[in-house]
Amino acid sequence: MALSEYIVMRELNHPDINQFAVYRRLGGWDAYATALRERTPAAVVQLVREAGLRGRGGAGFPTGVKWGFLPKGVFPRYLLCNCDESEPGTFNNHQIIDRNPHQLIEGVALSAYAIESNTAYIYMRGEFAAAALTLERAIAEAYQAGFLGRNILGTGYDLDIYVHRGAGAYICGEETALMESLEGKIGQPRLKPPFPAVAGLYGKPTIINNVETLANVPRIVERGVAWYRSYGTEKSPGTKCFSLSGHVNRPGNYELPFGVPLRELIESPEYGGGMRGGRKVKIIIPGGASAPWLTAKHLDVPLDYEGVAAAGSMLGSGAVIVLDETVKAPHVAYKMDEFFKHESCGKCTPCREGTHWLVKVLHRMADEGHGEAGDIETLHGIYRQMAGNCFCLLGESAVMPIKSALQLFPEEFETIIETSSRQHGRGKHVIPLL
Amino acid sequence: MLLDTHQSEIEAIIARYAQKRSAVLPLLYLAQDTYGYLNPAAVREVAAILDLPATDVFEVVGFYTLFYDKPVGTWMLQVCDDLPCCYLGAEELLTALKRTLGIREDQTTADGMFTLQRVKCLAACDRAPVVQANLDYLYDVTAERADLLLANLRARAAEAKQRGLSGRSAEDFVVETDRLSHMSRDAAYQERSFTIEPPPPPTPPAELDSGYDLPQFRRASPL
Repeated sequence: MALSEYIVMRELNHPDINQFAVYRRLGGWDAYATALRERTPAAVVQLVREAGLRGRGGAGFPTGVKWGFLPKGVFPRYLLCNCDESEPGTFNNHQIIDRNPHQLIEGVALSAYAIESNTAYIYMRGEFAAAALTLERAIAEAYQAGFLGRNILGTGYDLDIYVHRGAGAYICGEETALMESLEGKIGQPRLKPPFPAVAGLYGKPTIINNVETLANVPRIVERGVAWYRSYGTEKSPGTKCFSLSGHVNRPGNYELPFGVPLRELIESPEYGGGMRGGRKVKIIIPGGASAPWLTAKHLDVPLDYEGVAAAGSMLGSGAVIVLDETVKAPHVAYKMDEFFKHESCGKCTPCREGTHWLVKVLHRMADEGHGEAGDIETLHGIYRQMAGNCFCLLGESAVMPIKSALQLFPEEFETIIETSSRQHGRGKHVIPLL
Repeated sequence: MLLDTHQSEIEAIIARYAQKRSAVLPLLYLAQDTYGYLNPAAVREVAAILDLPATDVFEVVGFYTLFYDKPVGTWMLQVCDDLPCCYLGAEELLTALKRTLGIREDQTTADGMFTLQRVKCLAACDRAPVVQANLDYLYDVTAERADLLLANLRARAAEAKQRGLSGRSAEDFVVETDRLSHMSRDAAYQERSFTIEPPPPPTPPAELDSGYDLPQFRRASPL
């Protein structure tokens, strides 16, 4: 079910869409120019709310509703675009910018107008150095054409957009940690409330949205609610850029309407093209590292927020990692939790210590092949002490891989313990040599 | 001093923000490119420019992984070993790089050319295995292409020195079987063509001596 028209990957097949003149000729910036002249900011917010656009960064929160949380009459306001994409399996923000930076910039500009902000920052992860240059160049073109700057198109509206590069910290994708980082501090999350809409960057009302979310806005404003809602499902309207990776023949970003079955994404020759070497699907992680795992029996789950949730997981960022039967579940859990251990900011104890101990046990089991009686109970114990006790979602996310692995593949952990190479080498019967 | 050589750039950076402190990360990148790494004097200099206590800036340098407080090689090679790269050849690539360069993770070659690091997800999972060299993306770097990659980077050492570590003029490359092809920003976007390869042979069990995390693990509690 290929789309006749793409929303995020607009003009997908046009070779030069990454150039300003081409984007402009194909109707780019029209939505922005029209909105500035003919629509009030409140009308743009209303439009996005009615279109049912949901945040693509992971939580799926309705964007228009989020914009409505801003306290009335408090200025300045800031718009932040979250491009700190760093979770294993997610890679669409980078490619959206590579393909067509202008659409994102138009989306940022329109959204800034809607929330009556005069300054927007695009926070990119430090590793996206080349993409940051692409964006800066495209922003310079927009200034030159008069779409950014002072008194834009004679309407009296001012807007500046800046690119700000982080320096290698996944936690800065958490909205309050991103603000701390943008303020020049270490990226540790803040206590909520107050929520960013009330007191965000520099203590001012702030809206923060993901790259893909903002890239949707120009088309919604241009084509209207009914057109947008003709894609996707009732509760998840529009399309999603699914990032497909792992043991599939054709990994990549595929924009599909919400509600497409997982099987189509993985097996269709246009998208995933099936599994490498015709092997069987073992583990599907449908929404980035923090999503509970699915297995081959879930191939008919529809890819929308509700459908994936009903299957016991979450759509999250739409990063679908598919692994075949050559992998071992304890090792997948080990690699995932190693990621969270590395990226834990150290602010709260359950996350800092929990991820550390999970990795210690998993490393010994999955990498060294040495399991001890009681390991399974220990692992259950560690993640139970983390779940619900962490300061932000990073620690909560670290629970998912190990919990899923223990739930879905308990026998693999038992096998490691039974066949352990060092059955009697360690344990409580050995007198420690200090 | 940074202010002598880059004054207008620094002023332009600071002007973007409502509070001066926000310029810490961009200025640290600038200092790192200018001095090669963030030695204590460089960090203090950034703190002085922004009227911050030096401790606050040292804290930032310690927190973020892209700031180096020790000298590193001309090329900083950062290999993604996360899911899914680790199942698509990243471990084999690391083994090949370590063998060729004669170093382990977080070490620098004797000629000062390469520093090797394992890093977490680089957000290009469809082009696994992925490497960054001074923040240039290098896609599809299988173990067989490691030598080609190293030869290419060696040949561009002078360029790397001039461009610095912080990606202030970064570019992306696809590593192909016989060459590195440049992904030019101004060229048309090309849809990727896939060659569906036969499945790789089953991998032998991982070497125990991967060097990663192991020393730390051996120091585990006596129980």
